Amino acid sequence: MMSMKKLVLSTLVAALPGVTLANAAVGQPAPAFSVTDTSGKTVSLADHKGKTVVLEWVNPGCPYVRKHYDSANMQATQKGAAGQGVVWLAVNSTHPSHYDYKKPAEMAAWMKSQNAAPTTTLMDSEGKIGRAYGARTTPHMYIVDAKGTLVYAGGIDDKPSSNPADVKTAKNHVNAALADLAAGKPVAQAATRPYGCSVKYSDG
Amino acid sequence: MLRLLLSLALALPAVTAAQIASVKTDEVRAELVAHAPQGLVAGQPVWLGLAIEHAPHWHTYWKNPGDSGLPTTLNWQLPAGVTAGEIAWPTPTRLPVGPLVNYGYEGKLLLPVPVTLPADFKAEALDVKLSAQWLVCKDVCIPQQGEFALRVPAKASTAGHAAAFAAAWAAQPKDAATAARAELVDNAKALRVTIGGLPEAWRGKELAFFAEIAGVIEHAAKVTGRWDGATWQADVPISAQRFESPTQMHAVLTTPGVAAGTRVNLAIAGAWPALAAAATPALQSPADAAATPVATGAAPFGLAFALLFALVGGALLNLMPCVFPILSLKVLGFAGHAHSRRALVGGGIAYSAGVVLSFVALAGLLIALKSGGEQIGWGFQLQSPGFVAALAVLFTVIALNLAGLFEFGSILPSGAAALRLRHPMADSFLTGVLAVAVASPCTAPFMGAALGFAFTLPAAQALLVFATLGAGMALPYLAMCAWPGLARAMPKPGAWMATFKSVMAFPMLATVVWLTWVLGQQTGIDGAAALLGVLVALAFALWAWGRVDSERGARLAWNGIGVVLLGLSLAWALPTWREAQAAPATGDSTTWQPWSAERVAALQAEGRIVFVDFTAAWCVTCQVNKRTTLGDARLLAEVQTRKVALLRADWTRRDAAISNELARLGRNGVPVYAIYRPGQAAPTLLPELLTVQTVLNALAQESSP
Repeated sequence: MMSMKKLVLSTLVAALPGVTLANAAVGQPAPAFSVTDTSGKTVSLADHKGKTVVLEWVNPGCPYVRKHYDSANMQATQKGAAGQGVVWLAVNSTHPSHYDYKKPAEMAAWMKSQNAAPTTTLMDSEGKIGRAYGARTTPHMYIVDAKGTLVYAGGIDDKPSSNPADVKTAKNHVNAALADLAAGKPVAQAATRPYGCSVKYSDG
Repeated sequence: MLRLLLSLALALPAVTAAQIASVKTDEVRAELVAHAPQGLVAGQPVWLGLAIEHAPHWHTYWKNPGDSGLPTTLNWQLPAGVTAGEIAWPTPTRLPVGPLVNYGYEGKLLLPVPVTLPADFKAEALDVKLSAQWLVCKDVCIPQQGEFALRVPAKASTAGHAAAFAAAWAAQPKDAATAARAELVDNAKALRVTIGGLPEAWRGKELAFFAEIAGVIEHAAKVTGRWDGATWQADVPISAQRFESPTQMHAVLTTPGVAAGTRVNLAIAGAWPALAAAATPALQSPADAAATPVATGAAPFGLAFALLFALVGGALLNLMPCVFPILSLKVLGFAGHAHSRRALVGGGIAYSAGVVLSFVALAGLLIALKSGGEQIGWGFQLQSPGFVAALAVLFTVIALNLAGLFEFGSILPSGAAALRLRHPMADSFLTGVLAVAVASPCTAPFMGAALGFAFTLPAAQALLVFATLGAGMALPYLAMCAWPGLARAMPKPGAWMATFKSVMAFPMLATVVWLTWVLGQQTGIDGAAALLGVLVALAFALWAWGRVDSERGARLAWNGIGVVLLGLSLAWALPTWREAQAAPATGDSTTWQPWSAERVAALQAEGRIVFVDFTAAWCVTCQVNKRTTLGDARLLAEVQTRKVALLRADWTRRDAAISNELARLGRNGVPVYAIYRPGQAAPTLLPELLTVQTVLNALAQESSP
């Protein structure tokens, strides 16, 4: 019976691709959300209205996430953003059924061990935010401006590799976008290629 | 175990071996293989390849990996003169991961690469080194790499992996037999592909669609196709987070149970919306505002501003060079009607209605065409040589009438003439229509920004902007009708009117010269000469029809000759007015280079400032700026000292790339003058009525950051 239901569901899902990954589009209002962070506190996008918000999809089990944490690139980007008064929400959309899943306390501990500096880390274990934003990879980066418009979607940088040495020569798209916003300009490169592991949603 | 592997994966290359051809991890067995059945002889097939055997449920990726993942990369180290080609990727399969879909391979895979030997290849063996990177995934992903080495003998046959190579070639997508089409539909939310020449056995079956580049389509979306005989059509959903805007894209189609897919080359018709937010067009930074005092200052302006701009811009249209002949027509209209207040007001209202409705009709047509995926913008009418020729004919007829060669009354059927006399309102209305037909290509100050903004609005609001533009244009005339004081300031009717009428024929003829030149730009000198031929025949025919011959035979004879001449000249002219091949002669091609987005990017990368003149032969404002401001010696000297690159984007004929760039700048017509600085994607836009000082100031600002 259960598997029948699952079959029906996955058929539905296959027939309606829009349902599986909603299509947050650059230039449109960013999808609202409300979810608990690693400390159990409820965090909403609306809480941060009036500020620029960066969303970072993270999964400590992914080698591409490790590339940017082991090289301290992600932490430096987070600290740079914090210095400009930008809110940084790391989002873990790994489903509890997946091997890579970390409990909230484990996730908080991992972020701490990495010396990471996000405003907070969100536990999107059911993948609701991930699906609403269409997050495909870890890392996958989004920026919401002070008016609540999605102004950037894409990769952390322009060197899609797992080699940490590439960080030095790559163009950091998030830093560039934040600089554009700080200068009151539209984001020059508003959509780029995200790269990395797939986000570990359920049914996978 | 897995966790350990994961942590090792990044730290260590999977294997670093000196002279081995194969590498084994828990997930794959990878081997460098060769195929040279005739030994190593230049001109004979020589192939290298990386064979990958995946552990069950593990996969590696295709050239477009889909939603996540990375393609396998091969870096060859070969002796001098020996070159390796691109990977001949076998047909991929869809690999769903939850709501995501990847494109790649499971099981046994061979990635073949053709090798070219130099003609004088004499070595005893070919020493090959390969550094390969692949990402192998199941529910977790592991980046791996291997260093391989292989010695291929020159004089012996190497065919130990013949079966694997044969299988890889059999799985190579075959090029489609006939061309494929693709167009953007549903506001660029889907790509409608129409593909013929697919294998006959596929008919009626469901097909899978694989785009060869990652940044365009929604990989996970199910593509539902329709078969119409031998043709397959489908709407492929575009990703909401698209990051590429190709005009051309390769794709592979497959159906279950076949080894090889079919590869098609899709020329994509229709304009991609700008990648950045449409609501905040990339116009300029506040720091640049000083360079553009009026035209583009307010970037995200609301509907009210757009309406105000449209109203003012419309009024200014009356003063633009290309509208002046029409203005003179209206002045004549005043002179003719000044005696009756009622006729004056009625005419004014009818004229205004003609102007406003024409603008709305043109805008409606443009919106309809654009939503149908046509790459056009404001002024699109004049991109058609047929329309330009028709305008030239119309102006000639009007000029000859004003000059007194014939009277409309004597050639129009008596019914129509009577109608015209009895309905001066209809006459005024048509004058309004005529005014819009000629005025529309002139993008006056304020209009560029308003029009570009208008096309980002819902259709109803866009039409409102255009209606306001028309109202602005009709306003001065209407004002004179409403306040008799203004009308009384006009001279009293009298004998001077005959002289005035004749004199007004000459601005009309001057306009014909301009239109002939535009047609010449579009179709070459043959088209322009043919147009002049038609105009001469037309003048003769009008004169013949307008003759007051008492003798019926003579009248028929003159009329007959007129008709024959006109017919002959049209037969000559019409084929030459097809859209042309000849590139427009820009003359000063040494300083100005043709525009392309790539050229701008390349010059920016070199650290140069780039000035782009978006222009068209049919845009008089553009031509005035080109002859005066852009030809100014002081300006050109400054351009030289600052090493500014001058690019010209000629929109005389339809050009999808230019339309796209204009859309990206938030504009919909020409002229547009843009200064691109190194390291900045968004250019500074200058006002449409360009002065030397404005350009000099803008350039001076460029160098002081």
